[in-house]
Amino acid sequence: METATELAVRLSKASRKKFWNVYSVFDWPEKLDYSHWFMPPELISLYGTPAWEKLDEEQRHKLSLFEMANLFSLTAQGEMPLVQGLIGQMYPHHDPDITGYLHHFLDEENKHMVMFTEFCRRYIGKVYLYKKIALPRKYEKGEEDVSFFIKALTVEEIGDYYNVLAAKDERVHPIVREINALHHSDEARHIVFGREVMRSTFEEHSADWSKATLAGVREWIANYLRSSWADFYNPAVYRDAGIPDGYAAREFALGSEVCRAHRKRASEKLVSFLLESGILEVEPVL
Amino acid sequence: MQESEIRKQLRAWILRRSQSKAKTELADDTPILESGLLSSLDVVELILFIENLKGAEVDVDDIEPEVLTNVNTIYDGFFRGEAA
Repeated sequence: METATELAVRLSKASRKKFWNVYSVFDWPEKLDYSHWFMPPELISLYGTPAWEKLDEEQRHKLSLFEMANLFSLTAQGEMPLVQGLIGQMYPHHDPDITGYLHHFLDEENKHMVMFTEFCRRYIGKVYLYKKIALPRKYEKGEEDVSFFIKALTVEEIGDYYNVLAAKDERVHPIVREINALHHSDEARHIVFGREVMRSTFEEHSADWSKATLAGVREWIANYLRSSWADFYNPAVYRDAGIPDGYAAREFALGSEVCRAHRKRASEKLVSFLLESGILEVEPVL
Repeated sequence: MQESEIRKQLRAWILRRSQSKAKTELADDTPILESGLLSSLDVVELILFIENLKGAEVDVDDIEPEVLTNVNTIYDGFFRGEAA
């Protein structure tokens, strides 16, 4: 089996081979052509709900732009704590090969944040800000590390589902496809690395946890996945797209079976990994 | 919206969200996070509910966590001076 060091060396080689410059790779269009979609319609959070049915074609295209901007905003802000956490891991604990790959990881995450926020700033004039407030809490030993990697994997794996489908969809605007394709190309490596670190971190710490702590961590993971999905149903997005009572549309979509089926599909790879690795024992209701 | 109505809606939302079987009533000074009625993961939902009640966006950078202690502090922090 490949060791963590061997994996880091392999991923570093791939990162160097695919190295790209975020400041020169994009030819940002002055204006967007609204005949395109900006997110495949089937991935839009309200797809299949009464609020979606009430929209005409033009409104749906407009909503798709704000939805993609929301995904980019969530991903950029999800990558910020990841970058902060990885910086703390770089020199004290790991061998030079792992540190070497973390340099690539950080470089790539930084570029992602640049391209996502540039898109949002250019085409909708803002980034959708998280409504999260950090509350102080106590952790058992290792619990904070596990929650850190769960957060990182969640933003990467769910985002990747959207990236893959948006990148290959010919209905989607070329600049959006390009951003999604580039993100997927880097994230494929980040996910491999993140899973390996997640698995070993969980194995290392969970052995020392009491049954109650382990059950609490698993419950938190399931709740975290649900709460991450709730971020995709953003009333501000609906408001910007001209949907009346965006909050009600959100609440409906969160409880809708059509939307739940979408969330389940999009989370399938992540949930399978969590179940197969024993991090979760029961499939979470999303 | 009247102050009493805002407080009533906040209490109802917190109880609904907490899925508390035992509690059917909530006092305005009951700690909602400390008592475990809500977790940190519920905070985003609470903020969105508050925004919906206010009819305006809330900038979370301006919020100290203490504002989320109980219904009294939430009312004072987000609605005081705005109710009809």
